Amino acid sequence: MSTEMTDVGDTEQSGQGRAATAGRAADPPRVELTAAQPPLSPSAQGSVAPRPWAVAPQATDAERDALLLLALAVEPGTSGVEAELGEFGAAETLQRLAAGVSPLARSRQPESASSGAGITASRGHRAADLRAACPPGVRIVLRGDPEYPTQLDDLEEPPLALWVRGPLDLRMAAMRSVAVVGARAASGYGLRVAHEMGLDLASREWTVVSGAAFGIDAAAHRGALGAPGPTMAVLACGVDIAYPRAHETLIAAIADEGAVISELPPGSAPLRFRFLARNRIIAALTRGSVVVEAAMRSGAVATANRASELARPLMAVPGPVDVVTSAGTNRLIQDGSATLVRDAGDVIEVILDRDGQPQDDTLPDEAEQVAAALGRRARSCQSIAARCQMDPALAVSMLGLLELRGRATRSASGWVSTSTAAVGAPP
Amino acid sequence: MNLARARGVVIEGIEAHLIEVEAHLSHGNPVMNIVGLADTAINEAGDRVRAAVLNSGARWPDGRITVGLSPAWLHKRGSGLDLAIAAAVLAADGQLPPPAVAEPVMFAELGLDGRTRPVAGAVVAAVAAVGAGREHIVVAGANQAEASLIPGLRVTGVARLADLIEGLTGRLPPGAQPLPEPDPPAPAGSRPELAIVDCEALDLSDVHGQPEAVHAMEVAASGGHHILLQGRPGTGKTMLAERLPTILPDLGDEDALTVTAIASVVGGLPGGLIRRPPFQAPHHTATLAALVGGGAGGQARPGQITLAHAGVLFLDEAPEFASSALEALRQPLESGRVCISRSGFTTELPARFQMVLAANPCPCGNAVGNARDCRCSSMDRRRYQRRLSGPLLDRVDIQLTVHTPRLDRWSAQQATTSASARARVVAARERATRRSLAAGLGSPLNARIPGRALRGELAPDSQAADLLAQAVRRGGLSARAADRTIRVAWTITDLEGRDRPGLSQVGAALALRGLGGQGEAT
Repeated sequence: MSTEMTDVGDTEQSGQGRAATAGRAADPPRVELTAAQPPLSPSAQGSVAPRPWAVAPQATDAERDALLLLALAVEPGTSGVEAELGEFGAAETLQRLAAGVSPLARSRQPESASSGAGITASRGHRAADLRAACPPGVRIVLRGDPEYPTQLDDLEEPPLALWVRGPLDLRMAAMRSVAVVGARAASGYGLRVAHEMGLDLASREWTVVSGAAFGIDAAAHRGALGAPGPTMAVLACGVDIAYPRAHETLIAAIADEGAVISELPPGSAPLRFRFLARNRIIAALTRGSVVVEAAMRSGAVATANRASELARPLMAVPGPVDVVTSAGTNRLIQDGSATLVRDAGDVIEVILDRDGQPQDDTLPDEAEQVAAALGRRARSCQSIAARCQMDPALAVSMLGLLELRGRATRSASGWVSTSTAAVGAPP
Repeated sequence: MNLARARGVVIEGIEAHLIEVEAHLSHGNPVMNIVGLADTAINEAGDRVRAAVLNSGARWPDGRITVGLSPAWLHKRGSGLDLAIAAAVLAADGQLPPPAVAEPVMFAELGLDGRTRPVAGAVVAAVAAVGAGREHIVVAGANQAEASLIPGLRVTGVARLADLIEGLTGRLPPGAQPLPEPDPPAPAGSRPELAIVDCEALDLSDVHGQPEAVHAMEVAASGGHHILLQGRPGTGKTMLAERLPTILPDLGDEDALTVTAIASVVGGLPGGLIRRPPFQAPHHTATLAALVGGGAGGQARPGQITLAHAGVLFLDEAPEFASSALEALRQPLESGRVCISRSGFTTELPARFQMVLAANPCPCGNAVGNARDCRCSSMDRRRYQRRLSGPLLDRVDIQLTVHTPRLDRWSAQQATTSASARARVVAARERATRRSLAAGLGSPLNARIPGRALRGELAPDSQAADLLAQAVRRGGLSARAADRTIRVAWTITDLEGRDRPGLSQVGAALALRGLGGQGEAT
């Protein structure tokens, strides 16, 4: 930790040259488009499955290829992509871009422009080549894929594609995730709290999402890795680049056990404006954001504001009133935009509380019958089945469902109702 | 001609390597040198072979004998090269025709009186011979049946060295003694033996008053799910575990061969190709090396998990096992193989087993209900339960609490027999195999459906999916627990002969989750 503390002056701006010239990433992917894309109906794009265990309506291969090429060609977060996609679909948007008639033509990625590849319709790599050129261990999750986290659709300009390093399943991990963000120039107090919080959240299988930066970010990741539990780093550069360089081993450890993700193709440099775009992903991906320490004006507070805009619960850890690094968080609490939290327990409570949605009653009638037969006294499932005059196997299955809903629980000697009003039938 | 060669076999792990044995006679002091990274057993072969040759009525050549074993870089171990060395020496001396000696692969130990002794690993040796394109293997008479299990190979069993000489030259050596008394059956010794449960002796119908537990075993067998049985002593946990192999289907050809090879290497001479899944139940004092496999002298020794390959590994009193031993199970559970590295070698052995863990609720075993009889402190209980937590339990799909059977249920319940349960298991596995082939999944077992498939084409129906997604969001179920639930739900679906898990199957799978969410993260 102490080495980072001495290195706090290192901002994105001063660090970018180093990382970009680090030579780890080979050439940026050359973005050249093939003209042979058949036009497709716009509706195929952006169809997103509402459930994690449901068959997602897959976009056609051509649409997916076009989406990938678009993700390579257009700087993430560019406004207008969504409108174009909605109107024309991915394949046609791509053709319009190549022909220069799209308003997006002005916002090509710096790498593709500077490498001279440009966007030409004549020469071209196909999407398949680009996939094959993906560094080993990196997978591409496109918008509409089963693994794509649907929370990101809340953004005005959701990422078209995510490059992922690591075993974590993005959609599943994002369903129970918390962003832990804060100052790079953190105090010992902030680092301690962030580490503890990362550890506690991860050991309860909440995914700790952060940006792998110095200070709070790194402390939260390290805490989660120590749990060991899920953690995810969202980078503002390609996933094959370790930025900041000093965190190369940390990022590798996250990629081993969790996931390192980016909406930028491998080889992209950590340019200053990309950090803001990255922050919006951290805010949207998670169920809530915690600011552990932040000065008055800082990137962490910016992330916090994005989270608020997206109607995600915003939380902050208070600090001493006379310390610069807690001025931002104290202010967030004071003006009521953030909830005061002390530890992981508080964080989970706030998220579940805010997120409380009414449970629609999908349980079958038999479940109600079984629920009625439960009481305060533990009963075996045979006796429950006998009371309901039901097949024991069916009764067991209904008990499993009731338990999931928190209406039944089992003790060492049988099943019990959790309802306080439960009277059940007399034994 | 004073140079001749024969072919022998050495066993390494559960593989065998063909060795070229060359014998060279030259003038000089009458000594015998064996070169080529041989271990003690092989270096002692010189004396053994000399005595055996003399006692078989053949002549031991005068002068200096050099025996070379190649490839020279390979560490060679064991006594299986005796016969090949003897044959090479006799051929170099002109007593045997060199071309006839060079043709077969030989694999037997020699006694001082000239008789052959069986060597562990004859099946593996035969596999290696076939793999190297050889057509003929000569083994000890006691190994003949074992080596004959491998098709495409002519197997000759010889009871003594003199028989080999007679076979190659057409006549017995002049001074051959009459055939010695046959060996008494070899004692099992200290080697780990591969245990196969006798289906005749054990039957699922012996379990009374435990219909839920019996059903859970059936689900575990169908889907290949690892299972944890929790309950106080005397509730029948061991009884249930021992009967799991009786409801598993017969081994496929590939598994049968691998299991037979493993049995052959560890010296449990099989009567034929092993078709039934093995059942290994190491004691909780078993060391790490005994459990996962170890090695000394440049030779890997398969551990219990390799002996349990394609079968069942039962860890009774699982929390009492050394935590290092339990942790070491993680890699094999993931990959189905275990990698043993020692200073001299690195070997990979198969270790794809179904794990059955049994645990008491506390060290004394009485923490049930109001725990009136439990003498353990709360710290003891906590420590005991925590030993099984974490990554290991993460891979256990079914966690079952076994209750004390009630007397009144004994007569009322129609007992499930192993035969009927096995028929259902086989039918369920067939459905799973068809689906797995259609979906292009790696393994036919539901326990190994990858998480991505559970969220894609193998998702449960929309009602059940909604329910689970909500539970994950609300914190009632961790994402990994949800995946495990769907895997078990698929197995229940297969057993019921349905097409896709719905609410009822998911509910039944949740009920098999055990612990009631207490062990789950919120």
